[in-house]
Amino acid sequence: MTTTHATETSTPSSAEPTVPAEAAPAVVLNGVRKRYGDLPAVDGVSLTIRRGEFFGILGPNGAGKTTLIEIMEGLRQADAGTVHVLGMPPWPRNAALLPRLGLQTQKSAFFARLTAREHLATVAALYGLPATAADTALRTVGLTSQADQRVGDLSGGQRQRLAIAGALVHQPDLVFLDEPTAALDAQARRDLWQVLRDLKAQGRTIVYTTHHLDEAESLCDRVAIVVAGSVIALDTPHRLVGAAHAPTRVMVPVGQLSTERAQSLPGVVRVTVEGGSVVLETSTAGPTLAAVGDLVGLDEVQTRTATLEDVYLELTGSEPHS
Amino acid sequence: MSAFAALSAANYKASVRDKTTVFFTFAFPLLFLVVFGLIFQGQEVAGSGRGYIDYIAPGVLSWGVGNAALFGIAFTLMQWRNDDLLRLIRMTPTPLTTVLGARYTGALVIGLVQAVLFVGVALLPMFGLRLADSWPLALPVLLLGVTAFLSMGVVVGSRANTPEAVAAIANSIMVPMAFLSGSFLPIDLMPGWLQNLSRALPLRYMNDGISAALTGSGDLATIGLSSAALAGFTLVFGVLAVKTFRWSNNS
Ligand SMILES: Nc1ncnc2c1ncn2[C@@H]1O[C@H](COP(=O)(O)OP(=O)(O)OP(=O)(O)O)[C@@H](O)[C@H]1O
Ligand SMILES: [Mg+2]
Repeated sequence: MTTTHATETSTPSSAEPTVPAEAAPAVVLNGVRKRYGDLPAVDGVSLTIRRGEFFGILGPNGAGKTTLIEIMEGLRQADAGTVHVLGMPPWPRNAALLPRLGLQTQKSAFFARLTAREHLATVAALYGLPATAADTALRTVGLTSQADQRVGDLSGGQRQRLAIAGALVHQPDLVFLDEPTAALDAQARRDLWQVLRDLKAQGRTIVYTTHHLDEAESLCDRVAIVVAGSVIALDTPHRLVGAAHAPTRVMVPVGQLSTERAQSLPGVVRVTVEGGSVVLETSTAGPTLAAVGDLVGLDEVQTRTATLEDVYLELTGSEPHS
Repeated sequence: MSAFAALSAANYKASVRDKTTVFFTFAFPLLFLVVFGLIFQGQEVAGSGRGYIDYIAPGVLSWGVGNAALFGIAFTLMQWRNDDLLRLIRMTPTPLTTVLGARYTGALVIGLVQAVLFVGVALLPMFGLRLADSWPLALPVLLLGVTAFLSMGVVVGSRANTPEAVAAIANSIMVPMAFLSGSFLPIDLMPGWLQNLSRALPLRYMNDGISAALTGSGDLATIGLSSAALAGFTLVFGVLAVKTFRWSNNS
């Protein structure tokens, strides 16, 4: 290997005005704005992503998630506001920061007519790393058996996994993934969850976007819900769900309980019949369940508590989709 | 492996695996050389005292090399930008100059291989090219020619967003220029005003310089003027290239 690692050669010539890089949060955004013509794609976003955090960015199509993530990556310049990534501004192109960032773009990028391994080895070399880094990354995303296949011949999900491998090949501290699970089958999605959890366990910070809310709920430490360029909610999935006071649904097989009787039970706000069940929506699950138990027993009763998806739909539902 | 070596290897593999590129880089110019060489076998260009092959061999060589340099970088840049690969490269610590440097070196090697192949074929007894003693001076002209056409290619590849656009723009530059600069038709057979007009074209200088070095059709001054003109075109298109370069289609 002939290249020296970029971080070893860069000397801190000018004093960084911000906190020492090692103590700095992963990402700090302050009043960040970005317009495309008349469209405010990012409209005043301020947030802090801590080191080692698994941070999800959620929101409808066109909400500004990709734009926001590209501003953090340093691929786009914000029109206004300040951006600090690992204590440094990512724009203009900051060569000291680059080896510590990994990214997978929504539009996956590959060198034409190379095999998966050749592509990754080229990316590794761009970071000054040997080709063995490519094999490690291929193994991480489970593409070892496709290593010698041309990138153009990979399936959609395999291409996506290769793009993720490209984000991990240089073992970055901070990984940006834009809809990494969009084209994956259920098994591949679960496999990737494990990959992401392992990354987090190694102390890396992950910032990612997804339209799978169940996934965000189970993976993310915190999520930001973005609508029309603004963060309308930011918290742990647990607290978001708790704060929303979305009703719990208690489902009793049809015939065991009349809708009229169900309506009169404590806490019940609404009763419907869906898919062979009488569905009781309740704001206080405990008393309702106790009452149902007294009436019909709980053996065949199912409950479904509010999920992040319910909260998300409630928060984003009133907003017009673009 | 260094970034430069890895990029060169990636470029090399991508090129040889692309049969269309291989054909247009090597076989297509060779086809012109062979066809014109056989049609005008042993004939002299009237009033010049020089054989047709003395015009056609340097002409096809210059056109083939310039064409490959321009198309190669233009297609690659357009494709890399469309595929977001330029942005991926931008996010690595490797500077863009290394990436373009690897392309440049690759283009020089391709130009050299083309030159050896085309000259080698023209030297066959049936075509009858004879090299002048000054032939090694063709190398600097070749190098400067590749550089000039490469910088034009960067401009084309930065402007055009689709393969069709690259092909359309590059062809409408290269095809008329090839005829006007005397790559296919001996320049001495053209009317004087056309000969003068062709002095505005980089291919004319590459033809003149290579022809002077390979066949002795001109002296050192011709080669020097050609080299200087090609360097000038490189400068102009280099500035345009820097101005038109884009990392992505929507920034
Ligand atoms: N380069 C651009 N020029 C003009 N408008 C753009 C550009 N990029 C994005 N937009 C617009 O900005 C808005 C935000 O786009 P962005 O890609 O950030 O959304 P997103 O939240 O990532 O959406 P998705 O979930 O569909 O990926 C959209 O309305 C989009 O049409
Ligand atoms: Mg997006």
